[in-house]
Amino acid sequence: MKRWWWVIPAGAVAALLLVVLYRAFGTDPRAVPFQLKGQTAPDFEMKVINGEGAMTLESLRGRPVVMNFWASWCGPCAIEHPILEWGARSMGHRVQFVGVVFEDTEANARAWLARHGASFPHLLDERGQVAVDFGASGVPETYFISADGTIVDKHVGPISQMDLVHRVDQLTGG
Amino acid sequence: MHAALITLHLITGLTLGQYAPQRLAGEPLPAEQEARVQALASGLRCAVCQGVAISDSPSSMARAQLERVRELVAEGKSDDEVIDYFVARYGEWVLLEPEVSGVNLLVWAGPLVLVLLGMVVIARQVKGDENAPDEQLPDGAAQPADGPSEADADLARYLEAVRKETDQ
Amino acid sequence: MSLGHLGYALVLVGVAAATFGAVVGLVGGLRRRPATLRWALGATYAFAGAMLAANLVMEVGLLTDDFSIRYVAQVGSIQTPTVYKIVSLWSALEGSILFWGLVLGGYLAAFAWLHRKEDPLYMSVALGVMLSVATFFAFLIAGPANPFEVLPNPPSNGPGPNPLLQNHVLMIVHPPMLYLGYVGMTVPFGVALAGLIKGEIRTSWMGPLRRWTLTAWIFLTIGIVLGGWWAYAVLGWGGYWAWDPVENASFLPWLTATAFIHSTMVQERKRMLKLWTLSLALASFVLTILGTFMTRSGVFNSVHSFTQSDIGPTFLVFIGILLVACISLLAFRGPLLVAEDHIKAPLSRETSILVNNLVFAALTFVVLVGTLHPLIAESLFDKRVSVGAPYFNRLTLPFWVAMLFLMGVGPMLPWGRADGSRFRNQFLVPAGAALLTVGVCVAFGLRGGYALSVFGLAAFVTVITLRELVLPVRARMRDKQESFFKALSGSASRSQRRFGGYIVHLGIVLIAVAVAASSAFVSHTTATLRVGESFELQGHQMTFEGLVRGQEPHREYVAARLQLTPRGGDGQRLLAPRMNYYESSTDPVGTPAVHDTVREDLYVSLLAFDGKSQIASFNAWTFPLVSWIWWSLPILAFGTLIAVWPVRRRKPGKAGTKADGEGGKPEVAPADAPSPTAEQGAA
Repeated sequence: MKRWWWVIPAGAVAALLLVVLYRAFGTDPRAVPFQLKGQTAPDFEMKVINGEGAMTLESLRGRPVVMNFWASWCGPCAIEHPILEWGARSMGHRVQFVGVVFEDTEANARAWLARHGASFPHLLDERGQVAVDFGASGVPETYFISADGTIVDKHVGPISQMDLVHRVDQLTGG
Repeated sequence: MHAALITLHLITGLTLGQYAPQRLAGEPLPAEQEARVQALASGLRCAVCQGVAISDSPSSMARAQLERVRELVAEGKSDDEVIDYFVARYGEWVLLEPEVSGVNLLVWAGPLVLVLLGMVVIARQVKGDENAPDEQLPDGAAQPADGPSEADADLARYLEAVRKETDQ
Repeated sequence: MSLGHLGYALVLVGVAAATFGAVVGLVGGLRRRPATLRWALGATYAFAGAMLAANLVMEVGLLTDDFSIRYVAQVGSIQTPTVYKIVSLWSALEGSILFWGLVLGGYLAAFAWLHRKEDPLYMSVALGVMLSVATFFAFLIAGPANPFEVLPNPPSNGPGPNPLLQNHVLMIVHPPMLYLGYVGMTVPFGVALAGLIKGEIRTSWMGPLRRWTLTAWIFLTIGIVLGGWWAYAVLGWGGYWAWDPVENASFLPWLTATAFIHSTMVQERKRMLKLWTLSLALASFVLTILGTFMTRSGVFNSVHSFTQSDIGPTFLVFIGILLVACISLLAFRGPLLVAEDHIKAPLSRETSILVNNLVFAALTFVVLVGTLHPLIAESLFDKRVSVGAPYFNRLTLPFWVAMLFLMGVGPMLPWGRADGSRFRNQFLVPAGAALLTVGVCVAFGLRGGYALSVFGLAAFVTVITLRELVLPVRARMRDKQESFFKALSGSASRSQRRFGGYIVHLGIVLIAVAVAASSAFVSHTTATLRVGESFELQGHQMTFEGLVRGQEPHREYVAARLQLTPRGGDGQRLLAPRMNYYESSTDPVGTPAVHDTVREDLYVSLLAFDGKSQIASFNAWTFPLVSWIWWSLPILAFGTLIAVWPVRRRKPGKAGTKADGEGGKPEVAPADAPSPTAEQGAA
């Protein structure tokens, strides 16, 4: 029987391997973990490209914020933009919509906004530092910040109209 | 005609932003600090890349993250503080070298256990009869000594071992 | 009938032939019906023919831009240059599996043809096992990964193959080499599994087993090194190996196959480690399948991952079947393979090979578990972790150093038992060479424990290996009064394996030195320049002369003109690192400029540019000795060729008597056996 001892551990390891590989199917290897949920949002000061001067997060305290990272070179952002436009017009009185231009030139971003519309302020994240501060993992990405400055959650990828309404309701306690 | 269209396409693509603009890199810090920046950056996983360190990726996100490392180092933050900054945002996932604790013991202690186990197995294979007769030079051993070669006995015995080895 | 239908019909022929052959081979072999072998042989040739024809049909479709075939619509485009049209056969998932079928067919047909006169029962079982694998792949091509699906409304043009794959000529050679390596492991798997099924592995089969593994091994080696070269030449971050899951996937079977090549020597000589050796042959194959799963299932996030696909579950089932078959056969038949000898002394060749195998097993473990760990942590403990290059470098480095040491000590030790004092005497010269090398390096200002120990050990191994190669030649020259070249060729042909193996060792030493030097003594700088400004790295002066824009049929590019004055001042030249733009990708793909010399590579990539103000950012590195990695390939290939080169069978009779009397594939045993004249010459 001495020669058989290894069969049980070998079988167990093989079974475990199959289980691990099987369960891996449901996961997205590209998903980046997000740890800032429930934390205070880092403050920022960025230039407003479709308006005057600069804007800080501090100055928005007291209003919930929907903050969307985008770039002119990002295809999905263009698809998502009309939904945010709609959201800013119809829910802008409940929450503050803010766009953040990630890794882009000001001229490109301006031209893009001229084509796609700009119903809410868009800020220029010059060196991508705000995106890093917020733990972003790419564009488009939308952050939901409560009135007291806490990051409630974020949405990765283009957001749907239903999701947006749902999230805004959550933010405003609706 | 077609090629001309493509060139136009590239120019407009670059200006209208079909392609991610390649932003210019930040200025490196003084040598000593920059070395720390690069060392730290090579252990942090870029957020948009595929398992690549932020020091190695040409992507814009990696560049932004590298800038952040520079900024933190320039502010006088310690290595641990820089790492904590990234872990606070992306979790343990951001560390390309997993921490030596919890589940990760599998990858750190596992190889060690395997090597020790293997050494025990080999030791058991080898021991047994240390006193067995020396078989290195069996029947043919006398041959080279009688041979015409004037090489010293040591070399001859060595060559015999080689010959023996080549005897498939 | 359209081309797509024709291709699909051929795939179905392949499925039928493989299934038929698998059943006939296994049943006939187990029921002891030697006559069925010819059916199994026929089925093998039919499978190979069907696969060849199906691949040709796909090539015709790709070359004629027949977008009614789904795969062509997916990877083809009218603009793609012809050569990339040809290689786009393996540029995406479905095509690459079709190509896999072709390579598998080729290997099986070659195996069947070369060994058709062997023991028919054993051959039947071996072919049955291999055709079972073929059945799986044929089924995959016919079902989940069908490339021949006919589109009712074909598009007028396609997107063209993945930009990364069109970016460099190496992409034309690298994947086929890797496939030849991967798929080649099927043959040793079939032979080894047949041995287990029949409960015996005859000595006569050990030669073919080793040869087929070596064949797959050298292709895998070439594929891996070319892959590194490609990454270095294309990806622009200055590295050749990133410990990416897919790279690791190709590395795993390489590790076990290398271990096998060594342990098989102990098996043949000492009649021990039989079970272990067979397990390594099985593991090499299972790991290629696991590796393919990693590449194709979309479970891993990797540079190489093909788009997510639904063939993952099919592969998983296959892996499950393989594991069950291997483990249960090893369990039930293993006890029949008893060791007939044992190790007598700790200081002996066999012990050194045992330690070698332990090192390879540990490396395999580190790479496998490290690669799978993120999946394990997430699926079992719900924790997201990463395991990347820093981990693999730290854990594998000590093993590489140990390996290098063993490459020196092993060949010095005789089989059986080493004589302690003589061993010490032999040790002196190589050890002195090692110390001298380290001393010289330190004197030249080189520091760093690992790099210096690698250099020292490289000298150690080189001296020993050359001595092992030269001494028999010298003895021959003296004993038989032969010229150097005659003695060399005589000695090489008399002990091919030994001779070839040591040449391969020298190639590996070259790689070790190059890897250590290029990673330990790298210099790096970044610079952002206006036109006319320049920067300097390690004495190389580079002046930025402006940006140029250009176009090629399938892409456009922006290149920076950098005037290089190399260290020393001679041989000014222009470097043009560039950024390529493909219509199908929003991210540009860079091409670095490499100025390579024997001593070091100067490697410059264009990081970013601003066309309006003519400013550009560069990343520049110098990598000492890095090109030695690629240049070791001819040495490795040459050594392997010597080791596997078939030697004509000698007349059975006196010469053969000393060898294994079993016949089998006698090219192995008797050919390497001493000829009577050689013995007399020595006497």
